[in-house]
Amino acid sequence: MLVSTNWLRELCPVDATPEQVAAALTARGLTVDGVDRATAAGDVVLDIDIPANRPDCLGHYGIAREIAAAFGAELAPPRNLQETAAPSDELDRLVSVTIEDPELCARYTARLVREVTIGPSPQPIADRLIACGLRPINNVVDISNIVLLETGHPIHTFDYRLVNQGRIVVRAAGQATPFTTLDQLERRLEPDMLVIADDEGPVALAGVMGGADSEIGVDTTDVLIEAAWFSPLSIRRTARRLGLSTDASHRFERGMDPDGVLAAQGLAVHLLEELAGGRAVPGMVDCHPAPWTRKTLELRYQRVERLLGYDPGREAIREALSALQLAPEDGAAGRVRVLVPSYRVDLAYEADLVEEVARHLGLDRLPSTLPLTVAPSEDETVHPLAERARNILAGLGFHEAFNYSMLPEGGDRVWVPDGTLPPVALSNPIAEQLAFLRRSILPGLLQSVDLNLRRGNRDVRLFEIGRVFLPTAAAGSRPDEPLRAGLAWSGLAEPRHWSRDDRAVDLVDLSGAVSGALSHLQPGLEFREERSTLTCFHPGYAVSWRSADNRELAWAGRLHPELLARFDLPQELFLGEIDLDAVLAAGPRQFEYRPIPKVPAVSRDLSLVLGAGTGYRQVVDLLASRPAPATATFEAVDRYVGSHVAEGETGMTIRVILEPYDRTLTDEETERYRMDLIEALESSDLPVKLRA
Amino acid sequence: MLDDLLRIEREFNQALDEAGSDPDAVEAIRVRYLGRKAELTGLMKKLGTLSKEERPAAGKAINILKQKVAASLQNAADQAGNARRTARLAQERLDVTLPPRMPWTGTVHPTTHARRELESIFRGLGYTVESGPEVEDDFYNFQALNMPPEHPARDGADTFYLDGGLLLRTHTSPVQIRTMQNRKPPLKMICPGRVYRRDWDATHLPMFHQIEALVVDEGITMGDLKGTMDVVWKRYFGGRVRTRLRPAYFPFVEPGCEYDISCQVCAGDGCRICKQSGWIELGGAGMVHPAVFEAAGVDPELYTGFAFGLGIDRIAMMKYGIDDLRLLMENDTRFLRQFPL
Repeated sequence: MLVSTNWLRELCPVDATPEQVAAALTARGLTVDGVDRATAAGDVVLDIDIPANRPDCLGHYGIAREIAAAFGAELAPPRNLQETAAPSDELDRLVSVTIEDPELCARYTARLVREVTIGPSPQPIADRLIACGLRPINNVVDISNIVLLETGHPIHTFDYRLVNQGRIVVRAAGQATPFTTLDQLERRLEPDMLVIADDEGPVALAGVMGGADSEIGVDTTDVLIEAAWFSPLSIRRTARRLGLSTDASHRFERGMDPDGVLAAQGLAVHLLEELAGGRAVPGMVDCHPAPWTRKTLELRYQRVERLLGYDPGREAIREALSALQLAPEDGAAGRVRVLVPSYRVDLAYEADLVEEVARHLGLDRLPSTLPLTVAPSEDETVHPLAERARNILAGLGFHEAFNYSMLPEGGDRVWVPDGTLPPVALSNPIAEQLAFLRRSILPGLLQSVDLNLRRGNRDVRLFEIGRVFLPTAAAGSRPDEPLRAGLAWSGLAEPRHWSRDDRAVDLVDLSGAVSGALSHLQPGLEFREERSTLTCFHPGYAVSWRSADNRELAWAGRLHPELLARFDLPQELFLGEIDLDAVLAAGPRQFEYRPIPKVPAVSRDLSLVLGAGTGYRQVVDLLASRPAPATATFEAVDRYVGSHVAEGETGMTIRVILEPYDRTLTDEETERYRMDLIEALESSDLPVKLRA
Repeated sequence: MLDDLLRIEREFNQALDEAGSDPDAVEAIRVRYLGRKAELTGLMKKLGTLSKEERPAAGKAINILKQKVAASLQNAADQAGNARRTARLAQERLDVTLPPRMPWTGTVHPTTHARRELESIFRGLGYTVESGPEVEDDFYNFQALNMPPEHPARDGADTFYLDGGLLLRTHTSPVQIRTMQNRKPPLKMICPGRVYRRDWDATHLPMFHQIEALVVDEGITMGDLKGTMDVVWKRYFGGRVRTRLRPAYFPFVEPGCEYDISCQVCAGDGCRICKQSGWIELGGAGMVHPAVFEAAGVDPELYTGFAFGLGIDRIAMMKYGIDDLRLLMENDTRFLRQFPL
C-alpha cells in the first residue's frame, strides 16, 4: 500500500524523518519496501507491505496508530465522527435499509447528502490521491477514495435518484443474473452472491463493486452513502469467482471494523459538504441487527517469558499493551486482561498478545539461546536410499539434474508399462508443458539431453532422483510417490584421451552403470537381467532387472529410433531408471560378509558356440544348476561373432571359477566337474555346443 | 718382494682410477690383478723360494693386498653398475605433464549441495530428517496450519490443484503436521523437499525446494529460535554473518517473524543485491501457533515450539553467486559439472 507521510503527519505528528518512520514500521511488522521522494511533489511516499491479518492498517489512520505507539506520540482523534447515530424523520422518509441475512451483512449504515455539485477535486485532494497511486476522477468519487485511504473502511456512493425510492435491501442475488459493474463489464451473478438491491434489482455487488446503473454522474445531485460490514468469507468467494479483486473486496475479505462505519460516514459527509457543496440530511440509518460486544482476552504474564525466553517485567508488558490501545487491566492472579478494539480482528489468542508485546518491545531484545531438547528417533521418514543413490551415480560419472515433476499431456505415455493408470492431471496448470504429474523420470532427462546436444555439449551423462506419481485405483486417494533414479548417457563411453581411440557409449556401458548402482545401493542384493518391452526403447536394446522375488528393480535401453528422430538428436542416447522403493524392498534385511577363502581359486574355460537366440544368462543358469565341488562363479571372458561361426551363432568363452574355502581341489575333482558341465550342456535342449 | 707388492698396489690403484665407472674396464682390471695369470698369483707361487722366516710375513702381505684389490674392485663394479642403471633409467621417461587417464567424474546439483550442508549442520545439532508426500490434501497443506478455507493468507500460496480435493504441497509444513501426529514430543526435526507454487517468472519457479525446521518441547522459546538461527547461519555462511528477526504474519506461527541475514556481498554496508538495506531476507519463522498444535494433537499448554523455513535454491544461489534462476532447471552440463561431490 502506498502511504503519504504528509497525511500520516496530520494524523500523528512525530518528529522523525520518513526513513526513521519506515524503520520503525518495519520493526513493528509493517514492512516498508520503499521510500519514494520522487513521485509526489512535496510528499514522501512509503510503500508498505500490510500483512493479511492487519486490515486495520489498510488506511492511513491505522498506520498512524502504529506510529503513535512506536514513538509514544499523540494520535489525532478520528475526524468528524458521526454526531448522532439516530435516524431523523426526514432521512427515514427518504431512505430505508433491510438486511435479509445478518450473517453476511452485520451492519449497514446509510446517509444522504443533497444538492451536491459534481466537479473536479481541489488540488490538495488530487495530490493525495496521486501520491497513493490513485487517479482523481470527480469530487464525489475522490471523496470515497479519500475516506477509504484515511479510515481504511470502504464506502460506496450511489446516485440517490437511481436507487429506486431509496429502498436498500441487502440480500443474496437469489438467481443467476447478468449485472453490469462500474467498470462497464457485464458479469454473471450467482444465486448466493451478496448484492445491494433496490426493489427493482441489484444496484451494487456488496463489498466488491458498484453497479453501472447507479453510478455517480456529472448530473448527480443527491448522494447516498453506504458504509457497511460484510462477511469476509462471502466477499472473498464472490470476488474470487468473478475474478474481480478491488480495493474494497481486498479490505472486506480481511475483516473490517464493524464500528469503522461511523468514522467513514462522518468523514464522507464532512467532505461532501466541504468540497462538493452538499447539504447532509440529518441523521443516519444504522441497521445493526446483531451488535458486537468487544472481546476481552487474558494474558498470563509468565506466558510472555515462556514464549519469548525473557521476562520484560509486568510493568513493561502493561505499557506495551497500553501503547497499543488494548486498555490493560488486572485480571485473575498473574494475568492482565485487555479489551480488544473492534478494529483488531487479528487478536484472538493469548499468543497474539505475546506477539503484541514482543513487537512493541522489539524483537532485537530476544535472547540468543539454544534448545536443550534431545529428540533422537529410530524411524526417520527420509528415504534411506536417496543420498546413497546420489553418491553412487555421481561416483559413476553422472551429473545430477533437476526437472519438473510435471509433463505435457502424453509426455510419459511410452515411458511407462502398458496398463499403468493414466497420470494425475493438474486442474490449473501454469503451462501446457507442465499439466500432468510424471510417471517416469526419463522424459525430463530426454529433454535435458536434447538441450545439451543443441548447445553443443556432446558428452552428456545426467541423473535425476525424484518422485514419480502413480495413481492408485481408489478414487480420491493420493497417488503413490515412489522414489526413482533416472540416468541418461550420450556421447563417449570413456573420456577422450590421447592414448586410445574414441568409443561411443552403448547399452552395455549404461547397463553396467545400472548394475553397478544396484549392487552398491543394497549390498547382497540379487538380481538378473531380462529383456524389457518398454516402447520408449529400441526393442532389441532394452533390458530390465528383476530381484530374486521378481520385483522389477530397474530398466534401461537405447532410445527408440523414432523418438531419436522426433527429437532430431544427432547421436544415440541410452536411458535407464531405477525404482529405489523396489530396491529397498528387495534388499536383504541384513547384510553379512562372506569369509574369504583360505586357499586359492581355480578356473577352467569353456569355449562354446551359442545357437541363434540363446542368451548368456540361459547358459549360465544351466551351468549354475549343476552341483559343484566348491563355490562356483561364471565370467564371460570372450565373445565372438564372425566368419568362424555360422550366421546367427555366437562364440563365447565362459570362465568357471571354483573357490573352495579351505581345502585345495584336486585336478581330478576339477576335471570331473568340467566334464559334468560339458555333458549338461550337450544333453540340454539349448542349442549350445563346444567350440572345436 | 714387498717392493713388488707396493708397486702392484700403486699400479692397481692407478689403473682403477683410469677405468672410472666403465664396467668393461673394471672387469679387465679384475682379470689382470686377480685372474689366474695375475702377478699376485705368480708371487704366491714364488713363496716357496723364500726362507722359512720370511715366508709367513710375505704370505700375509700378499693376502692383504689381494683382499684390498678385491674390495676395491667390488666397490668399483658396484659403482659402475649403478651408473649403468642410472643411465638406463634416464632413457625411460614419461612426460608427466601429459593429461592423465581420468575416469568420468560426476557431480551433484548445487541445490543438493546446499541441502546437504544444511542437513549436516542440523544433524550436528541433533535434528532428524523427515519427509512426506508431495501430493497433499487441504487439511495438511492449509487447515492444520491455521488456514481455513477462504483464508486470505492462501492468496500468498498460489496452489496447483488436482482432482479429488488434492493439491501439490505449497510448502513442506505438512511434514511437520504428519510428524507431530505420528511421534510424541520432544521433536527436533527438519523436512527438506520439493514444493510447488503457481508462479513462474524471472524470480520464481513453479517448483522449488524448501527446508523447514521444527522443535517442540516443554520450554522452547523464541530466544531458542534466535539462537538456533545464529548458529545455523554462522555455520553455513561464515562466522561474521548476523541474523535479524522482524515481526511478520504467517497463520501457523504466533509470534511470527521473518528473518534476515546481513548481506554477504557488502557485509551489511548496503549494495545493489540487498537494495541498500544491508540485509537479505531468508524466510519465515515463529512460535508454533496453538491452533496448529491442536490440529496436530499436541497440547499447546504443555508444549511450545518454534519453526522456520527457507528456500534451498535461493540459499544455493547466494552461496555460489548464481544470478539466473533458470540455470537451476536447465541442466546444462557446463553448469552442473562445476559442483563436484
